[in-house]
Amino acid sequence: MDALLTKTEEKTALTEKEKISGSEALLKCLVAENVKTIFGYPGGAIMPVYDALYGYADQLTHILVRHEQGAIHAAQGFARVSGKPGVVFATSGPGATNLVTGLADALIDSTPLVCITGQVFAHLLGTDAFQEIDVINTTIPVTKWNIQVTEAKDIAGAVAKAFHIATTGRPGPVLIDITKNAQNELFEFAEYKKCESIRTYKPKPQLQISELEAAAALINQAKKPYILAGQGILLSGASKELKAFSEKTGIPVASTLLGLSAFSTDHPNYVGYLGMHGNYGPNVNTNQCDVLIAIGMRFDDRVTGNVSKYAKQAKVIHIEIDRAEINKIIKADVAVHADAKEALGSLINLVQPNNHQEWMESFRVLNREEHEKVVHHEFNSTGEIKMAEVINHLSNQTNGEAIMVTDVGQHQMIASRYYQFKNPRTNVTSGGAGTMGFALPAAMGAKLAIPTQQVVAVIGDGGYQMTVQELGTIMQYKIPVKILVLNNNFLGMVRQWQQLFHGKRYSFTEMVNPNFVKLAEAYSIPARKVEKREDLQDALKEMLAAETPYFLEVVVGKEDNVFPMVPAGAGVADVLLEAPTHK
Amino acid sequence: MMIKQDYTLELSADNNFSVLNRIINILNRRRVRIKKLMAHENENDFRRGGVIMLLFTTPDLIEKVTVQLEKLIEVDSVKVYQGNSEYFELSEKIVDVD
Repeated sequence: MDALLTKTEEKTALTEKEKISGSEALLKCLVAENVKTIFGYPGGAIMPVYDALYGYADQLTHILVRHEQGAIHAAQGFARVSGKPGVVFATSGPGATNLVTGLADALIDSTPLVCITGQVFAHLLGTDAFQEIDVINTTIPVTKWNIQVTEAKDIAGAVAKAFHIATTGRPGPVLIDITKNAQNELFEFAEYKKCESIRTYKPKPQLQISELEAAAALINQAKKPYILAGQGILLSGASKELKAFSEKTGIPVASTLLGLSAFSTDHPNYVGYLGMHGNYGPNVNTNQCDVLIAIGMRFDDRVTGNVSKYAKQAKVIHIEIDRAEINKIIKADVAVHADAKEALGSLINLVQPNNHQEWMESFRVLNREEHEKVVHHEFNSTGEIKMAEVINHLSNQTNGEAIMVTDVGQHQMIASRYYQFKNPRTNVTSGGAGTMGFALPAAMGAKLAIPTQQVVAVIGDGGYQMTVQELGTIMQYKIPVKILVLNNNFLGMVRQWQQLFHGKRYSFTEMVNPNFVKLAEAYSIPARKVEKREDLQDALKEMLAAETPYFLEVVVGKEDNVFPMVPAGAGVADVLLEAPTHK
Repeated sequence: MMIKQDYTLELSADNNFSVLNRIINILNRRRVRIKKLMAHENENDFRRGGVIMLLFTTPDLIEKVTVQLEKLIEVDSVKVYQGNSEYFELSEKIVDVD
């Protein structure tokens, strides 16, 4: 009898042991997806997940941020430099809505993220329960995909689909909203199966040889062909293919904001940075080329200026993985719906070796003009410190090999113009969404993804204060990011527009700032402020040499402007090298 | 300025919660006017369904929203017809099976 009882008890115990909670299943799924780092913030509706996380400390590193927006931007920084999906945990209600800006940013900038939000118990959905917000409908427009899970048995399938969707095709953010009952529910967890395909989702277009042949025919006949390299080069890992393609064909390469670092700036075929504050040659020659080859980019209005005046003379070849981007803004004469790496890898065999010396030289002539009228003055100023010279020194001192994380505004445009990127995936910025406050948390994420790399966050005084609370995270986890704030005590880019286009009416753009050095020191971060040019190089050196986090504030010209500039409504060829003299 | 006209859009998709919202969101964001709409589960498989819509918009926008709708993860296929006659034919079929 005794023996029988024991046997029964054993059996029951074993069955109970086989069952795990939905929360633990979630963590097992993440481990199976090779996740190592999670950025998050706990709260009521995600407590079961955090409870399970307590037992997974040896497998999963959780970074407790100071605000959910910090978590998602950190995950973006992590994803952008590593190519792996960033993972975020947040609670229901405000925890989830605080992710919305980051989701929108990641969607437009094609960044793979998997965000897990807690949700109220399933039986409370729609009842206005505490911290209940309809997260699915709130985030539909800002995610590549989202799903609500109300039963533990559905968690693994949702996670598998989420990782597949986030990382394939044009990458993007996905969100899984898990009700608290599903997190608590005990169930028998079968083996985790990665998702390989979804019936209705075809992320990888089949390379069409006819499209490539049509593209090659245009390229082979072109006298002034011109490559615009977008982030698609980085996302598909096509930097080598692009280099080989440009070298074989002798075609000049310009980069979009997010494409920066895809093509080394010291390559002789690199002609500069495109767009509203891009280099002179790349913008002017957009309206001179005969064949425009746009690769992995989406013709953002900051690149095209006035579309009706954009490259009208050129045949356009658009190589793009996202079908919805083709013909969205600029009509393609030849559309190559494909992954950039695959397309370039095949296209190179169809094009003839060539060089376009004269055409290439025309970029240099224009860029020399920019150098004389803009760059020379930026680098040889005797008055207040210019942002450009700070970035120039930074670029030289790091040999263009640091990971540059920039925020949004004048400093971002200056950094994009003057940092001499050498290696792929070393430029992290908020492009399409233009999210101020992005850089500080994104830099934390980038540093955690690649601890061996020097990571420098370049931020304006405005954006810095939007997510400055993340200094707490940097302090707690001793994340040795370098924070370089270019302080002009203004929301500089808005002020520039007010000066140029609104009669110098500086409507609410001047800022009274705190003592930034004391603020950093309050978080035990070594800090220094530079106001004199003669201290600048030494301060940058000290910052870069620090093995700890380091904060450097450089006081720059209060009313400096970023030029060149394509004014709103103007064509790219009408790019200004200096402020118009009238008004 | 392209002239607006009627288009019938026939869309099939997985019948998940929110799939209709995803579809409508794309049309709303582009300010495409929806004149009529019928959504349904498939009779023999509730996990799949479809939407038939009568839209009033330009040729340019119908092309752009079509590729954006096709991009939705749950959407299987999108067919576009000029005019409204297909809308009435297709929607009658749905009503008939019910």
